[in-house]
Amino acid sequence: MAADGGSSSLQLPCVFSPKSRQFLALCAQDGRLRIWNTDSKTLHQEYVPSAHLSATCTCIAWGPCRTVKEGPQRKKRKSEAVQVEEKADLLAMGTAAGTVLIYSTAKGALHCTLDGAHSGGVNCVQWHPEESLLYSGSDDTNIVEWDLQTGKTRSKWKADRAAVTSLCVSPDGKLLLSAGHIIKMWDLDTKEVYRKFTGHSTAVTTLRFATTRPPDSNGLYFLSGAAHDRLLSVWQVREDGKDKNSVVSFTLTDEPQHIDLVTSNSKEEAVRLAVVCKDGQLHLFEHFLNGPCKKPLSPSCTVQMSDTKESPMPIPLLAAVLGADTRTVMLAYGSRLQPVMEKVEINTAERHVCLARDVQTTLSLSMETTVSKVKTPIVNAKSKVLVPGLPGHKAPLKGTSQGSEKRKKDTDTKEMSIAERLGEIDLSTVSEKGASKGTASLQTDNFAVLLVQGLESNDASILNKVFLTRKEMVIKKTVARLPLSAVLPLVEELTKRLQGHPFTAVLMVRWLKAVLMHHTSYLASLPDLVTQLGALYHMIESRVKMFHKLTKLQGKLYLLMTQMATSDSSNVVSDVDHTAKLVYEDESSDEDEASGDEGLPDEDSDHWEEDEAMTEDNQEESEDEDPDSRTESKANGEEDMEHENESEEE
Amino acid sequence: MASFKPTKIQVYPKLGEKVTQDTLYWKNYKAPVQIKEFGAVTSIDFSPVTPHNFAVTAFTRIHIYGPFSQEPVKSFTRFKDTAYCGRFRSDGQLLVAGCEDSVVRLFDVSGKVALRLFKGHTKAVHLTDFTSDRYQILTGSDDYTCRLWDIPNATELTTYREHTDYIRCGVTSKLNRDLFITGSYDHTVKLFDARVEKSVITMDHGQPVESVLLYPSEGLLVSAGGRHVKVWDLLKGGQPLVSLKNHHKTVTSLALSSNGQRLLSASLDRHVKVYNTTNYKVVHNFDYAASILSLGLAPDDESIVVGMTNSILSIKHRKKQEDSKEIAGQQRRRPSYRVFVKGKNYVPKQDDYLVCKPVKEHLAKYDKQLRTFDVSKALDTALGTYIRFRKPEITVAVIKELDRRGTLKNALAGRDERGLSQLLNFIIGNLVDARFTPVLVTAAEMILDIYKSVIGQSPVVDRQLLRLQDLVEREIDFQKELLEVLGMLDTMFASSLPRKEVPCSGIGRSNGLTQGEPSTSKPQLQVT
Repeated sequence: MAADGGSSSLQLPCVFSPKSRQFLALCAQDGRLRIWNTDSKTLHQEYVPSAHLSATCTCIAWGPCRTVKEGPQRKKRKSEAVQVEEKADLLAMGTAAGTVLIYSTAKGALHCTLDGAHSGGVNCVQWHPEESLLYSGSDDTNIVEWDLQTGKTRSKWKADRAAVTSLCVSPDGKLLLSAGHIIKMWDLDTKEVYRKFTGHSTAVTTLRFATTRPPDSNGLYFLSGAAHDRLLSVWQVREDGKDKNSVVSFTLTDEPQHIDLVTSNSKEEAVRLAVVCKDGQLHLFEHFLNGPCKKPLSPSCTVQMSDTKESPMPIPLLAAVLGADTRTVMLAYGSRLQPVMEKVEINTAERHVCLARDVQTTLSLSMETTVSKVKTPIVNAKSKVLVPGLPGHKAPLKGTSQGSEKRKKDTDTKEMSIAERLGEIDLSTVSEKGASKGTASLQTDNFAVLLVQGLESNDASILNKVFLTRKEMVIKKTVARLPLSAVLPLVEELTKRLQGHPFTAVLMVRWLKAVLMHHTSYLASLPDLVTQLGALYHMIESRVKMFHKLTKLQGKLYLLMTQMATSDSSNVVSDVDHTAKLVYEDESSDEDEASGDEGLPDEDSDHWEEDEAMTEDNQEESEDEDPDSRTESKANGEEDMEHENESEEE
Repeated sequence: MASFKPTKIQVYPKLGEKVTQDTLYWKNYKAPVQIKEFGAVTSIDFSPVTPHNFAVTAFTRIHIYGPFSQEPVKSFTRFKDTAYCGRFRSDGQLLVAGCEDSVVRLFDVSGKVALRLFKGHTKAVHLTDFTSDRYQILTGSDDYTCRLWDIPNATELTTYREHTDYIRCGVTSKLNRDLFITGSYDHTVKLFDARVEKSVITMDHGQPVESVLLYPSEGLLVSAGGRHVKVWDLLKGGQPLVSLKNHHKTVTSLALSSNGQRLLSASLDRHVKVYNTTNYKVVHNFDYAASILSLGLAPDDESIVVGMTNSILSIKHRKKQEDSKEIAGQQRRRPSYRVFVKGKNYVPKQDDYLVCKPVKEHLAKYDKQLRTFDVSKALDTALGTYIRFRKPEITVAVIKELDRRGTLKNALAGRDERGLSQLLNFIIGNLVDARFTPVLVTAAEMILDIYKSVIGQSPVVDRQLLRLQDLVEREIDFQKELLEVLGMLDTMFASSLPRKEVPCSGIGRSNGLTQGEPSTSKPQLQVT
């Protein structure tokens, strides 16, 4: 069955499709439902519920697979009955507004909405394994049984004094577990309480049947996990009804977030369990269920994931499902907006496994593909034909899909943290390739808001990030959008920063110029302009005082360095062909170097090579730091010139 | 005979941040101790009695930490849901806390089970406090009511239904048992008097109020909400005195340093700001790793405790006096020396001819060397590692002195590769410092004059010269740009009096630029 980890309102649902695990349905923070294909690791579909902001999706459950081989084909809808696929199709989503949406992945659209029965938010939905029934539990303490053939409620009953937070239908479809704080087992035929289990002090978030045996054989077990609880409890449904306490408990490191288990059909078969906790770790258990066990069981294997940076940070796992054999596990990890899916072989002999993955690269890769994947359904020519013909049905469909695609791009940029956004600006090439249209990165063309925040709270880290921008356009736009009240604080801050090292101060001058240009009229109209900008003026004046002398020094240095370069280059030339000629010609000007040449020609040439290498290094450095190093190139030019001159002379 | 005059070290104005008494005071804390709690830390309260334990409310628990323990001394875990606002009574014996399940619990600090349960609210209780007579409890809840309860028989005394939104903060008067103040998300702060059973003063904060604080004198009230911190005069009937806006996100918590001279505000923007309460200027700023939800300050500012959204509790302890004892020890030696000088407290009479004892002049090492005209060694000393990195002004002063004497050339000459590279390193490191430029440029020129014959022989020195060249180039480019700015400023100053012309020219210029001319320098050059 589909895993239903996220039934508590705090957690965002994240569910693999049953059987083949072909899809991962995931509801992200922005309220959109995304369905990822686990084989191609791309975004398969995206659906934005019309009320995705007000009524967020609280839980998801995949409907049972509808396959030809699986005996009697259930007919949910007449239209769909013909189209037989071996695929998980329907998806039930419970929302905070109390409605249940049925989404069809085959159609890629909303199939129907079930509403009118709940007055509170829906906490959990569960499909009946055989009949086309759906159960939903809600904050209004009721459980509703929906008939999907009619789309109406079949029955509704009060289940608990508190909200119903979790549900589970037994594999044979005869029993239903529900839980608020107390776990109740209902007989689905009579809708009467069959058993009660107490023990959890907080809301139960997870319920799962662990065995598939009938309830009166002492062999039916189920497990439960509760909010803020670091234990998974296993309960035995005993024949004599003396099932007061849990029989086994599994210890975890945090609250369980997603559970997958392989049920056991006989006593000889162990239950295998994969639990992803809230702290992003995966725990694997294997246990034979046969009666009580006093000690809490610790996991047979714990899996963590980290990135490949120098100081590794943990990557949270979102969900995990067990594969057919004991070692393979399908993992989903990373951000909810762009999860990465991967099939992993885990060496269960080791107690603790840490996987290192480079999420950054995988993320950007998946983003490129997602964009392309999302586009394909839009470019279908059908919509053109059908829009006039069926305005009621198809037109909104097309509208939503397009809208969703556009909005999705926006959120991709919006959802990123400030640091990521800044990072994107620096490495703009990657993002522009990914977005390809250039419209997506419009969000990051100015820092006005960030700058104002930084100035208001005097936050050094924000200011540093903003001021180290090198893009002229970004600076201009930021300054242009700056509110007038922030102009003077900005000038003050720039004054402070102008006093530093020229490498960084040059960047500040750009900002200052932009401010002076964009806000000329405002600044000029200030009555106390002189006092406001006086400090800046004096600072600049005092710094510029040495301009004269420094230029002179530069001239001197320039001369010496070029002399050195020429002497070295001439050395090489001389080494290659004619030593004597050059000595004669340069005698008058470079006596020192010439004499040095004569004395130690080999040593000098050695020096030259090193020097040349160093100058090159230096040039590279400076080019890295400053894209337009005009003087450097000039120097090179001069060297070239001199080469030519000498050759002419020769 | 004229005595030797030691090199005068010029005191240059410091660049960047000013070191004030406040920054010294607030920087005098040890590295923070960080403790991971179970959830976001929503409240921190210090016990009023020594040893000043503090109660930390995080998620469904309240932990009490001792002043120096990193493990909780005591923890209260009997909450059914998220706990809020654990506060000590004025004798430090009892602790009260609200809860998401609307029940208020009263604990004995030494016990474990709640002594009293106060049931009556219908929604989460975010505000709890004891009145100053110790026998009543004030609570405020999300059901828009605040109530007074009697502790001994756990009954409700009064209910106030004046607020129209969640009540999230409040404080009781420490001087008057009947007065208390509540702040609500309906943007108001209300002062209640239990004797008249309704609010006496209502102040409009303008944003949902997150925290309120009373001055020890109780004449002034501070409220925080939104991005503003506001100070109100209660004696003038709630007149707003100051409005501070120094955070860029919601201010969540306030604290007063124990002598009432400094106000601290913590915010979701990860900063804690310290204000001077006489002029309400920010005097210091702390940065933290995550959004701050709660802030506590121990009596006498012994420790600053901050609780954050990422469930980390950060505790900074003040550095003890012992830490700076070595300095004190050095200072103590002086009086013990003076004990030997007899007749020190003899007061000279009018006719006495006073012969001053020649004060022995203490000379720095470089001064001694200068005195013996050992110029090269003096420069070496001034280039010693410590001075070079920590007090470049001394090195520069020595170079300047040498230049004044005309012996700088001698001092600079005759250095081997290592000495020269050290010197060049110093020049490269400090040349762009506007305070040192004049002296160092002279020195650099001299070095070039002296060593130009050997340039090209040592790869190390050559590399440094290249670096120097690059640096000077950058500096000149920078100064060119600055000169352009200067020109712009000149224009602006000149035209600020006749106001009509400037906006026109300014607009014209900026338009020309925004229309996409890539070379920014040209139009500015026209201006200059």
